[in-house]
Amino acid sequence: RRTGEALRAFHTAIRSSPGNSRNPAMKEQAQGTMLKVLTSFKSSEIEQAVNSLDRNGVDLLMKYIYKGFEKPTENSSAILLQWHEKALAVGGLGSIVRVLTARKTV
Amino acid sequence: MAYHSFLLEPISCHAWNKDRTQIALCPNNHEVHIYRKDGAKWNKIHELKEHNGQVTGIDWAPESNRLVTCGTDRNAYVWTLKGSVWKPTLVILRINRAARCVKWSPKENKFAVGSGSRLISICYFEQENDWWVCKHIKKPIRSTVLSLDWHPNNVLLAAGSCDFKCRIFSAYIKEVEERPSPTPWGSKMPFGELMFESSNSCGWVHSICFSASGSRVAWVSHDSTLCLADASKKMAVASLCTETLPLLAVTFITESSLVAAGHDCCPMLFTYEESQGTLTFGGKLDVPKQSSQRGLTARERFQNLDKKASSDTANATLDTLHKNSISQISVLTGGKDKCSQFCTTGMDGGMSIWDVKSLESVLKDLKIK
Repeated sequence: RRTGEALRAFHTAIRSSPGNSRNPAMKEQAQGTMLKVLTSFKSSEIEQAVNSLDRNGVDLLMKYIYKGFEKPTENSSAILLQWHEKALAVGGLGSIVRVLTARKTV
Repeated sequence: MAYHSFLLEPISCHAWNKDRTQIALCPNNHEVHIYRKDGAKWNKIHELKEHNGQVTGIDWAPESNRLVTCGTDRNAYVWTLKGSVWKPTLVILRINRAARCVKWSPKENKFAVGSGSRLISICYFEQENDWWVCKHIKKPIRSTVLSLDWHPNNVLLAAGSCDFKCRIFSAYIKEVEERPSPTPWGSKMPFGELMFESSNSCGWVHSICFSASGSRVAWVSHDSTLCLADASKKMAVASLCTETLPLLAVTFITESSLVAAGHDCCPMLFTYEESQGTLTFGGKLDVPKQSSQRGLTARERFQNLDKKASSDTANATLDTLHKNSISQISVLTGGKDKCSQFCTTGMDGGMSIWDVKSLESVLKDLKIK
């Protein structure tokens, strides 16, 4: 499995996030997809993936990370914590604040 | 930077007199204390006791030397110095919630009060009755008004609210002034007219500020964003998602540079690039003292790992000047277009004066446009 695949899947998931959707089924599907993509990464690949995002992308990623924390699966929290560390380094505390204040959740 | 610790509690709000020799502040209670600078010391010279609730806003009119204060007791008082005593005059605001902020207009013939009653009280003096009266701006405000700033034309007023919006209203009072001439924000300005309303933020708007010319307005919200609306670009809004904790206060120091501060306890520089319509972070303005880097013992490393899941050696104590959130910034000298000194007060009970020239020489990468 090549690194490129995971990275492409990641960007696709970020791009096709249903931003303004109120449809709970759609949002849940997007969350599930994103979680799958995030857990498929090797620890060493995470930093590169985070650095490839723009500011809005980092904010969106942080929202999905916290969503993932809300509904933990086996081993998901461990990898999510690693994503959290890298996303925090780029987005700062501001990106976490925006998870808390966002009106439209992912 | 000059830092003075006034209190062990938060300074709720402050205001300076015209020549910056006296500062009026609320020491987190129902009073206003005025301190005068005598050499290197600050001496308390007055205690203003009239409010029945915490004083949430103070403004000192530079020319007429009058103070206006507002508080959680739903009242505002205009204070006049008679000899060596400050005499209060009650102003009926007709609100049923706490007043949160107050600002004199540039000509000092009106003042505006924002409150939890979801409206703004515009107060002016009625000569014939020898009494302050007020008019309300209500629509379309949906929550508490936290911050206010006047446009230099004495008519337009910017208001930041807990309903996440920044708005500009006309506070034109025909009894005290002439019809205003058109501005980039619009030409028709009847009282209460909404000239601009923002749509971006997802957080309470803590602080709002017009640039010196009045053609730009900037605000900071609780979702850690800084926004700026430029009337000369059809009111286009530039916004910046910061990496910091929410900012609580913002001011222009030139027409394109802003200083903001908040829960990170440190003032920061932001620059507005007009050609691209963008806001960028220009750096922290607090230069931490170089604390001696001593190594961690094995025990401390283990404790760090246990508590914070990280083994990095960054210390957990604040090395900023202010040891708690900064809640207010005021321009001391130079005005909002060529500020040379500004002042911050915060929840640590301290007041700090920042010198722009010194900052520029110490922080080599600082670019103030």
